[in-house]
Amino acid sequence: MSQALVLVADDDDDILLLVTTRLRRDGFDVVSARDGDAALAVAREQRPDVAVLDIGMPGLDGLEVLARIRADDELRTMRVVLLTAKAQESDVRRGYAAGADLYVRKPFSPAELSQRVRELLDGGKS
Amino acid sequence: MALRNFKPWQVYLGVGLALIPLFYMFSSGGDGQYAVLIVIDCATPLAVLYGIRLHRPQLRLPWYLFAAAFVCSVVGNVFSVVQENTPEPSWSDGWFLAAYPLAAASLLLLMLSASGRHKPAALADAGIVTFAFAVFQWTFVMSPAIRAAGGTGEEVVDALYPAMDILLLAGLAGFFVSPAWRTPSFRLVGAGIATLFAGDEAVGLGPNSYSIGSWIDSLFLLAYVLLAVAALHPSMADLSHPRSLPTLRVSLWRVTVLAAALLVAPATLVEQKLRGKPLDLYEVLSLAAAISLLVVGRFTGILRALERIRLRERRARAAAEEMQLRLTEQNERLLEADRLKDEFVALISHDLRTPLTSIIGYVELALDETVGPALDGERRSYLGIVSRSSERLLRLVDDLLFVARLQAGRLVLEPTDLDLAEIARQAVSEAQPRAESKGLELSYLGDGPLPVRADRGRIFQLLDNLVSNALKFTPEGGDIQLRTHQSADGIVLDVSDSGIGLAPGEADRVFERFFRSTRVVDSQIPGTGLGLFIAKAIAEAHGGRISVASREGGGTTFRIELPAPLGSGARIPESRLVV
Repeated sequence: MSQALVLVADDDDDILLLVTTRLRRDGFDVVSARDGDAALAVAREQRPDVAVLDIGMPGLDGLEVLARIRADDELRTMRVVLLTAKAQESDVRRGYAAGADLYVRKPFSPAELSQRVRELLDGGKS
Repeated sequence: MALRNFKPWQVYLGVGLALIPLFYMFSSGGDGQYAVLIVIDCATPLAVLYGIRLHRPQLRLPWYLFAAAFVCSVVGNVFSVVQENTPEPSWSDGWFLAAYPLAAASLLLLMLSASGRHKPAALADAGIVTFAFAVFQWTFVMSPAIRAAGGTGEEVVDALYPAMDILLLAGLAGFFVSPAWRTPSFRLVGAGIATLFAGDEAVGLGPNSYSIGSWIDSLFLLAYVLLAVAALHPSMADLSHPRSLPTLRVSLWRVTVLAAALLVAPATLVEQKLRGKPLDLYEVLSLAAAISLLVVGRFTGILRALERIRLRERRARAAAEEMQLRLTEQNERLLEADRLKDEFVALISHDLRTPLTSIIGYVELALDETVGPALDGERRSYLGIVSRSSERLLRLVDDLLFVARLQAGRLVLEPTDLDLAEIARQAVSEAQPRAESKGLELSYLGDGPLPVRADRGRIFQLLDNLVSNALKFTPEGGDIQLRTHQSADGIVLDVSDSGIGLAPGEADRVFERFFRSTRVVDSQIPGTGLGLFIAKAIAEAHGGRISVASREGGGTTFRIELPAPLGSGARIPESRLVV
């Protein structure tokens, strides 16, 4: 079985590296993007199994990328995890309302994030 | 005694009025009538002097002049009794006539002090009324009398009384400018002088010469009684010193009086011409000129005052508009400041979280042995400190953000129906590792479920705050208990520890923002003093309350009481919260 492909999009290089490192160590294939437009392009091109999107990005933000993924017939079933530094409960709700599978607030534990991504993939297969 | 219940002026008025019918019970021109006359006459100056002593007006001279006028009147009456049937003009007339200038001077002095800054207006009004009345008096009373009698004799003397009334009227008229005319004392003076004047006019215009015992005497007696009562009334002290500053008003009636005064001269001449009487051209015209000048002066004064008022009003309006503008600006600035504060808080929160994510995440990676070569114990402990410090920093950021939102009135609860026992268990189990590392016994006592409608995240935050507090302030070997039970009103939740406790007097203050116990500061236990402030805000936002019981060195118990859920309202789906 081929390894699951995860797209990670964040405009902060340190966090991008943190998440990709963790996910790679945990056995995922990872592609990364530094803004929303790039993330959407990669998503269309490579069809990752899971997209981990930061909400606060230049250009298209995470919520907009999510909306386009959900509106696209071919990408619709992709698992999407939103990352945000916003702490409001209302933001969390907006994230779920937009169709996120998971909403993770910064700061987070990379190991736990990786674990959740794994669970999402397993849940999707069962 | 019943008489004690009455004031002096009431007594005097009653007795005085009763004496008037008594006067007519005696035979006309008899001793009885003279006796009543003398009694009232003598009583009047005494009443005025008593009034001065009783009410102590600041300005006494006018009242002494007033009393002197009545003394003259008494002397005049004495002469008229002694020198019975002497031809006029007699000594008695001389004394009577002397009383008028004294009374007029008294009124003029009172008027000037009462009119305050409107003295010129008061004088002008007095002058206008006086001159106008003089025209009337001259043409209808004095001039015919003098012509008829050829310059001497009884008629001329009788005509002098109405002339003297002009003086009194002059003193009286000025009062209408000031608010003094609203005092009872002034009204009594006015009524007294009007009555006196009516009596004098009746004598002057009447066909027969005056003799004692006629109906006209009732007017004189009444006038004396009224004037004496005016001096006895408590408001006499206000007459020369009105309590409020005079306000200038152009009332319709004042304009009417001025117009009437202007018309007196032409009307008089027309009347004389129509009746074919000789015209008093010079006298009437010179008086008319004086009146016209005064009226013009008066109107100028009124117009100027109006102009001043309008100017002041314009200035006040400009000032008000300016103030309004400044308020609007200030309001905008405040709104802007508020918006900037919100932005700042959001920014701080966001920008602190991002680096914290790196710190916490990379420390975790560094400590993960599957990622790289294992670290030695010392380095591991260093990174452990970094990790704990970042957790503390994160907590501080969250607390500050919470307080900022709370103060902006933006603490929004998202209540759901939940089991408090389950949240309590969760709070205890999450704090368990920290308790164990510090050698503390942490336990939960209580059985669920405890249904409550509350914001899950906030309630957890509240319990976690209290448990963390207890962990912080309890020395090694101590124990911490979280207990819950159902009460009649709702749910009670206690968090008690065997820690250092609060110093006396601190229990009331622990819920204040940034409050830190002296014991805590002394022992250098870190913290911001926001935890309990937040706990209280959360408890109160849920309609509950928080209280504390503590003994110094004997542990502390925080108690939270939450109201029972009111039926099962609309269910809000529980958020799937992670991390």
